[in-house]
Amino acid sequence: MSLTGKDDLRKAAWQIHDYIRAELVLTRPDMDVKGMPFNSGLLMSFLIGLFQGKELIIGEPGLGKTTSAEYVCALLYRFPLGVIWRSEVAGHPEQTEEKIIGRPDLGKLNQGDEVVVWSYFTLLPVKIIDEINRLPETKQSMILDGVDRGKWEYLNDAIINQEFCLFATANYHDQGTNTIIAPLIDRFDLMVESKHPGPNLAYQIGIRDSNGLALRHEDLEDEFHQILSARLPYHVRMERVEEICGRFSETLEKGPGIRTLSSVERQAVRLQKEQIPFDLDSSAFLRLVLAELSFCHRFGQKRTHEVCEEGCHFTGYLCSTIQNCVSNRLPISVRSISQALAWFLGDETVGLEHLMAVLPHALAHRIQWKEGILAQSEKEARDDSLAIYMAKKAVKEMHRRYIEQSSQVKDALSIAYRIAEGEKVEPIRGDHPIYWEIMKDMGEVISER
Amino acid sequence: MKNPFIDFHPGSYQIKERPTQRIIKEKQAVFNHIIKGYLDLVENEIKDLAWVVEHSRVVKAYGAAVEGLRDLQYDQAYIEEFCAELDGSNSIPYMIPGPAGLYVSALVNYSQESHILLGLGDYQRPFHFLGYGLPEGKTLTLQGDGGDFIGAGLNGGRLVVQGSTGNWCGAGMMSGEIWVDRHTGRNTGEWMQGGEIRVDGQIHGIGKTFFGGCIFKQGRLIASREVERVF
Repeated sequence: MSLTGKDDLRKAAWQIHDYIRAELVLTRPDMDVKGMPFNSGLLMSFLIGLFQGKELIIGEPGLGKTTSAEYVCALLYRFPLGVIWRSEVAGHPEQTEEKIIGRPDLGKLNQGDEVVVWSYFTLLPVKIIDEINRLPETKQSMILDGVDRGKWEYLNDAIINQEFCLFATANYHDQGTNTIIAPLIDRFDLMVESKHPGPNLAYQIGIRDSNGLALRHEDLEDEFHQILSARLPYHVRMERVEEICGRFSETLEKGPGIRTLSSVERQAVRLQKEQIPFDLDSSAFLRLVLAELSFCHRFGQKRTHEVCEEGCHFTGYLCSTIQNCVSNRLPISVRSISQALAWFLGDETVGLEHLMAVLPHALAHRIQWKEGILAQSEKEARDDSLAIYMAKKAVKEMHRRYIEQSSQVKDALSIAYRIAEGEKVEPIRGDHPIYWEIMKDMGEVISER
Repeated sequence: MKNPFIDFHPGSYQIKERPTQRIIKEKQAVFNHIIKGYLDLVENEIKDLAWVVEHSRVVKAYGAAVEGLRDLQYDQAYIEEFCAELDGSNSIPYMIPGPAGLYVSALVNYSQESHILLGLGDYQRPFHFLGYGLPEGKTLTLQGDGGDFIGAGLNGGRLVVQGSTGNWCGAGMMSGEIWVDRHTGRNTGEWMQGGEIRVDGQIHGIGKTFFGGCIFKQGRLIASREVERVF
């Protein structure tokens, strides 16, 4: 039975989320959005999966980083777990392009033909890279384009995924891990931590059937394998894959009673999400955040290798505590996932609460803090990993600053609109970087150096 | 290029005037009025290219200053701000000490408060004529040294100078009190008709023409119609 109404689609999405939370990924709530308790890792993973994002999941070994991604992918895209497992890429030093993306068809190659055998990882819309930080830095660049655009190239052939989401897990640093290179880490929309659920839930994990057996289907997994291995054009294979997905969804409805979403319905959900506008406060607040994370009075903008001196007039703002400039991917991520959250909660507009929930996870992996700032914070009492904790603290600070001057910021933006339209009006000036950035947009040369 | 502020177009966002903005705006309007009154006065007074202290001229300038301030509501803060503007800002192009002092005196005399305190030590330039025509019920305290003609034409008010004054202190005063902590200059009390001048320090010279009132030096009466002048 197909779901067509907006509320029906949302209801189905909630049912999937709640099933995972109740039966598969036992976690404590650790965040509150509009009065509703959520587990940040699960909620964000769910939104990333449904709305085609990319997520980095960090955490200690064995705390469900990969498993939660597998369940989300299986239920949102209607693949049995066995198919998901076959598509996963494991990060390790010996990993090669041939194992991750595709390899030549040796039989065809002997006949002189260059035919690529694409990996399941490349073909399927769900992509999970386990322990990405065990990939050497030199090999991480192999997946940059694929991670960014869903575009995979091998030999003279290429595949562009029409629909895809990506999850990568990373352990905390040990002897076998590497740094995730800056261009790769910036491509992740969000970073979440898979936390220990506490002894009482962990105790439950040991005694109940929470290993997702309902998501296995060996017969259909074989059928998937046959289609994915067939020498057929990509789009033909994907059409047939979708047909088997539909059959798997029927078993999910009959078994655990979960109604899943077809690819057409997922597309409809994404279109609905795209149409959710930002309200004025969230628009102004996001601008203020971007200003603090990119502004440098002395050097024009933040640059990783240029550090402004102590005693800068803007010491009270985040620009004085970070080293790098946030990329243009940040607003894209924040916009998309905030809209996704608003859609999921049934809200007509994106508001400050959606932004406040999403921003820490969009910033945590993107901000490079100055060493002194890290040293100050690392011993502070907290419930999150250091990166997420610092991002949450930063967002709270920026939010406080915004609340203190929200009317003035909005007035300044409104006046700026009129000036940009050619009206002769005096711009509103202020101390916060956002006002300086507006002045720059108005063509003013900032000469107080 | 698309207007990057399109979210905030007037159709979706209207700037509301907030109480603080309104207060600032009103304050600015009052201050602009004060400045304009002064500039009008100066423009009128500099027609002769030189400003000479003559009784009729002083009376006329003061009258014009009062006229410019008619019906205006302000308090000491405005007077202090105006003095600071006179002293150091580019927004007032002419600081002619005579008219400036008369204008400040008019501001003091018609302000809402009965007691005004001006910190003259904060200013680089001398202010003359402060306390001119100070009426009954008003007290003006000057912290620091005043210029010439301090308390001239005093009219029943109380002027306290916590410092010294220049020449012609209390010239032509009719009634009231002038207290000077330190010294006064020459011609103190010239054309004085009534009231008291009390000086704790030295008086460099008493005015030659003396119609009434009393002058005390360090508590001792040194000049009145009944007592022969010491100097």
